[in-house]
Amino acid sequence: MAYITDYQYYENGGANPENENWGSYQYVTLQEIVNNFMLIYQGNNELLNNISRYQVLFYAKRGIQELNYDAMKEIKILELEVGEDLRFILPQDYVNWVRISMYQGGVLYPLVENIQTNWSGAYLQDNNAKILFDQDGNVLKPEFSSLDFDRIKGVKRSLYLNVNSPYHNSLGYFLDGGWYFDYSVGSRFGLNTETANANPTFSINKKGGVINFDSTMSGQTAVLEYVSDGMENGDNANISVNKLFEDYLYSFIRYSLLNGRLGIQEYIINRARKDKSSLLRNAKIRLSNIHPGRLLQNLRGQDKWIK
Amino acid sequence: MPANINEVRTTVLAIANKNNYGYITPQDFNLYAEQAQMDIYEDYFYQYNSWISKQNQRVSGTGYADIVKGLEEVIDSFSVESFLTQVGADNTYALPADYYLINKLFYYPGAIATGTNTFVAAFKLTDSAATFSVLTNPTTPPVGSIIVNTTTQAQCYVTAVDNATTLSISANIMNLNDNYIIYTNTNVVEVERVSQNKLFYLTSSPLTAPSNSFPAYVLGGNNVTIYPSTILGATSIKTQYVRYPLTPNWTFTNITAGEPVFNPGQADYQNFELPSSDQPGLIAKICQYVGIEIREADVYKFGATEQSVDTQQTN
Repeated sequence: MAYITDYQYYENGGANPENENWGSYQYVTLQEIVNNFMLIYQGNNELLNNISRYQVLFYAKRGIQELNYDAMKEIKILELEVGEDLRFILPQDYVNWVRISMYQGGVLYPLVENIQTNWSGAYLQDNNAKILFDQDGNVLKPEFSSLDFDRIKGVKRSLYLNVNSPYHNSLGYFLDGGWYFDYSVGSRFGLNTETANANPTFSINKKGGVINFDSTMSGQTAVLEYVSDGMENGDNANISVNKLFEDYLYSFIRYSLLNGRLGIQEYIINRARKDKSSLLRNAKIRLSNIHPGRLLQNLRGQDKWIK
Repeated sequence: MPANINEVRTTVLAIANKNNYGYITPQDFNLYAEQAQMDIYEDYFYQYNSWISKQNQRVSGTGYADIVKGLEEVIDSFSVESFLTQVGADNTYALPADYYLINKLFYYPGAIATGTNTFVAAFKLTDSAATFSVLTNPTTPPVGSIIVNTTTQAQCYVTAVDNATTLSISANIMNLNDNYIIYTNTNVVEVERVSQNKLFYLTSSPLTAPSNSFPAYVLGGNNVTIYPSTILGATSIKTQYVRYPLTPNWTFTNITAGEPVFNPGQADYQNFELPSSDQPGLIAKICQYVGIEIREADVYKFGATEQSVDTQQTN
């Protein structure tokens, strides 16, 4: 960010919003990165010349995207209430999730992903299981698949009480006037820790752009922590990156351009690649904020007895 | 200092007149002078490229041995900045008629104020309807903001805010009832040249699509089309370009003893624009044309040899 006066920093020069510039000094904008690169790293006497600005822009954005995926820890958080359809529509700038929680009674309950899918697409079929098509040759699809229907309509297990039945005190499904129970196959040796969880579960339909929860999540508040790609919905003026990654970005752009150009010696490309890798490592270490004070605080608990 | 056209002509005549049968009319001389200047002018760009290659091979020095710097200085003496005129109401702007090479295009996004100059005073802009202010921090408009006279396309800078209706400005560009627009001198962005065959891909890609932060243009005819197409300001686009040198014109008023007498006071007089160091080159070039005109092989050979020697020395 450009250098500004204290008045502009704290009160945005009297304009709204007042907090516009708070913390802005940590960041360097996309415009500054592209501008600096064109000024310093390309020219008649540099390794790179005759490159177009849009190439630099492309690689600068790609670099920022990559950083956002795994290095920057710029987590975004969104809270939404889950309706009866048990869906949480992914935010527009969603790329990957970090944690999904249920917010209840002032406490965040982290949820686990259901590794057995709870959603699917479906085709309409006739009595003979043949797929049905419309007059244009397109397959006919129901609004919900059986999996979706069961999940949304909430066919839940409940306790079956009948002292005369071998299924007395078992969990079963009451559906259309009859009781259904899971097969009892083999023996059960403790919990399956992979799926053991008292809280609601979810699975993500990436292509469909939704998180599907189980029926116990209806009416609850879900909190999604996720990472984006830092592209700020395509507004170039708002794209920025932490200054700790500034040098890495230059090296990433330089390497990407050199790597794609004709006639560049391999040793130059290798040098650029090594620069890029080491600068990324340095930036990650810096961003992790490992310093003696913090380590000391952690080590204070080393002699505590764990009962 | 530019080459002196009269000295060039006198020297050429002296060379061509060795047997008293070579006389060049002023009209012919002017034609040859234009050709010679253009030839040498274009050669500057090739020399510049050649010397940059040598610089990268470390066969060019610094300081007084910095040939590239000298070439840049000559080329930069033809550099011009001007705002482009919008064609209709579209995102198309007409290029200047005298451009040789468009070097840069700039987009001025932040118009602070517009209005009309209602009173003429030296180095002042006065607009009785304006609301300039010295009470804000920075002033409104900030010192250094760019003022464009949209009537004449002239431009200058704000040097001080005098009061709510008057600005001190860096040049006398405002006439009575001239319209003006004031741009902030920050947030000015370069408009990038894109070839026609890349434009589709550029505009179709979310990562590279032209935006107000990174606009682009394509050249077509003598116009440029700016992208994104929402850039429509009448004086939003400024160019820095290298112009053609003006056509040299050796002028005279009367003929004395059969000779036209040089008169640089004529309205259409135009000296060479290339530097004095190019005077030998101009003479050699013109001698070649003159040698052909008067069918004097020696004159042609002299010119060709001089040029060849000069080329060897400077390359």
